[in-house]
Amino acid sequence: MSFLAPGFLYAALVFAAGILALHFIVVRQPRSSILPTARFVPDTRTITVARSARPTDLLLLLLRVITVLAAGAALAKPVLQPSRAATARVILVDASRSALDSISMRDSARSVYRDGDAVVAFDSAVRIIGGSTGDSLAPIARRTARGNFSAALIAALRAGSILRDRADSLELVIVSPFAREEFDAATDSIRRLWPGKARLIGVALRASDTATSARQSINAAASDPIAISARLSGAGAGANGTVDWRASTRPRWALPRTVIDTVGGVVAGTARVVAPFERRWSYPADSISSGEVVARWVDGEPAAIEKADGASCARSVAVTVSPVGDLPIRKDFVRFVAALTQPCAGYAMIPASSDAMARLAGSGGLAPRQAFAPRSDTHSSLAPWLLALALLTSVAELFVRRFTRNAAGDAENRSATREARAA
Amino acid sequence: MEIQGEFADLLDAVRGIRWPARTVVRGGIPGAHTSRMWGSSAELTEYRPYRQGDELRRIDWKLFARSDRAYIRLSNDRSVLPTMIALDASASMAFPIATNGKWRMAAQLGVGLAAVARNGGDPVGLVIAGGSEPQFLQPRMRRSAIHEIIRTISGTTPGGKSPLAPAISIAAQSVGRLVIVSDFLGDANEILTVASRLVAARHEVHAIHVLAHEEIHPVSDAATVTDPEASEVRRALTGETRDAYLAAFGSWREGVAHDFSDAGVIYSTVITGDETPDHAIRRLTAPRGVSAIA
Repeated sequence: MSFLAPGFLYAALVFAAGILALHFIVVRQPRSSILPTARFVPDTRTITVARSARPTDLLLLLLRVITVLAAGAALAKPVLQPSRAATARVILVDASRSALDSISMRDSARSVYRDGDAVVAFDSAVRIIGGSTGDSLAPIARRTARGNFSAALIAALRAGSILRDRADSLELVIVSPFAREEFDAATDSIRRLWPGKARLIGVALRASDTATSARQSINAAASDPIAISARLSGAGAGANGTVDWRASTRPRWALPRTVIDTVGGVVAGTARVVAPFERRWSYPADSISSGEVVARWVDGEPAAIEKADGASCARSVAVTVSPVGDLPIRKDFVRFVAALTQPCAGYAMIPASSDAMARLAGSGGLAPRQAFAPRSDTHSSLAPWLLALALLTSVAELFVRRFTRNAAGDAENRSATREARAA
Repeated sequence: MEIQGEFADLLDAVRGIRWPARTVVRGGIPGAHTSRMWGSSAELTEYRPYRQGDELRRIDWKLFARSDRAYIRLSNDRSVLPTMIALDASASMAFPIATNGKWRMAAQLGVGLAAVARNGGDPVGLVIAGGSEPQFLQPRMRRSAIHEIIRTISGTTPGGKSPLAPAISIAAQSVGRLVIVSDFLGDANEILTVASRLVAARHEVHAIHVLAHEEIHPVSDAATVTDPEASEVRRALTGETRDAYLAAFGSWREGVAHDFSDAGVIYSTVITGDETPDHAIRRLTAPRGVSAIA
């Protein structure tokens, strides 16, 4: 058992010691005796304080100490912990679209999994797999989203905080095809936060689809100004194109906006266009969550999205171009069109470079448990029970104190009466 | 209470002590005290010329033969002094509880003084105020009077809070000397009133104030003290209140002594443990201006 806030327990121990000391001090009315000249004593109420060789009111003392210690222990948040193993692993399992299949991925993860390990499945999002057996790996399946090592490594750090109380050393294991698209600018910085090396277990990378690796064509009409821009950018324009970009009709997966407004620019990759665009369409949240945003308005709203379409991908562009003006032939707009007709990047699986792999593997030994911050959101299941115990004993203390006081008063009265009667 | 055996030693110790009256006594049965009446005892006091109406047999004929003048031979009469011992047997006299020191002292003073008076030929009586009804023993001159007094005192247990003044008022009607043995914590004012009236009637009144050593020097430990005659009086006697208690008690005692002395009462104080009963009796019975000899 350990305590998340042991200071409260120490304070309770000090307080309980004070209570114990106070029970060695007797505070009560002085002993009763007969004195015929009592009328000459000033009428003042006095109590005497004396030191006792043994603690007085043992039941009250017990209840008070239990109350204080239970309340202190409850505030200290005791956590029951299993015995610590020598080593535990944080296994990052890549469930993104870059993996060839789920079976090999799960098999590779099972080969390193031991009881007590933490499993983190990730693609563009991460989730820590619960359970304590290898069967908990069964729900892991390949998804269509792009993987992201940065998010996975942050989750690994969180899992490390969870495992710090279960093992002396932590090992980071990454089961992934290690596609280049899963690295980003923050990956190296986040990786350095893990204090130790990582074991990299590679699985098969999904093969690139050559049919979709070519540039996309736009399905705009021949009279559409987009077609002019497409021709200028070198992209084709025809009915079989995979970029759904229409001048007046509703784009695929988009809905009409209730209020049509005007925005001053749009961005796709490194291509930027500054011009007044009439914004008629917007993409609902479910369309965005199942695809990827490839262009955004200057206010951050998606302007074009990309979704998997069988073995290929399809794009929908909600950028309306006015037939009036020179926008279709402006260079920046032509570059914007060229960016939207690039091959689907997510489907061009390219292995990560050896340098990126080396940086991801890192160097050194296993990470010591002390390198991970203790969890601040740990829940103590014992705290409510201890608080209830403290409350119960405090109520019992009230009753016992009242009973003891009444009994002492009766005894004192009996004693005085007996002495007076004897006199 | 086993105090009867203690009286034997006391009676031996007080044998030979005389207790003369402080003033001339009323005439009556011939006794040891000087009477205010002129009598015909053998002890000559003075001669007075014969006046018409004097009895001829009182003329000193030998002096007449030598001087040819008629003189009457005068001598003071001597009389007994009926003595009444009044004992306070209220609950406050039963202190300290373990030893009953105040009551034992009062009882021994009563018996001792009665024995001294009886040895001087005076009739002695007893009144004890305590419990529900006071106990009276009329003054007697017979030898068994002391034994009756001892028996009555031995059978008395101090308790209750019966007033002493009414009993004294009744018992003192036929006596010349009244000895009040009390702690005066009950009806001191009423006793003083009765005593003043008796003094005015030329009675000899002694007030013996019995105090316990524990009352004058209470224990230093803190205690809640209770008045045995008034259980509602419960006070905390501690280091802080002790000085105030001593001051108040001392002031009260001075007031009592002053009041009784002003009233013509012969006031004395006896503190338990400070002197033996026979020594106290010698001091109380010594003639005015003569100190007691232990």
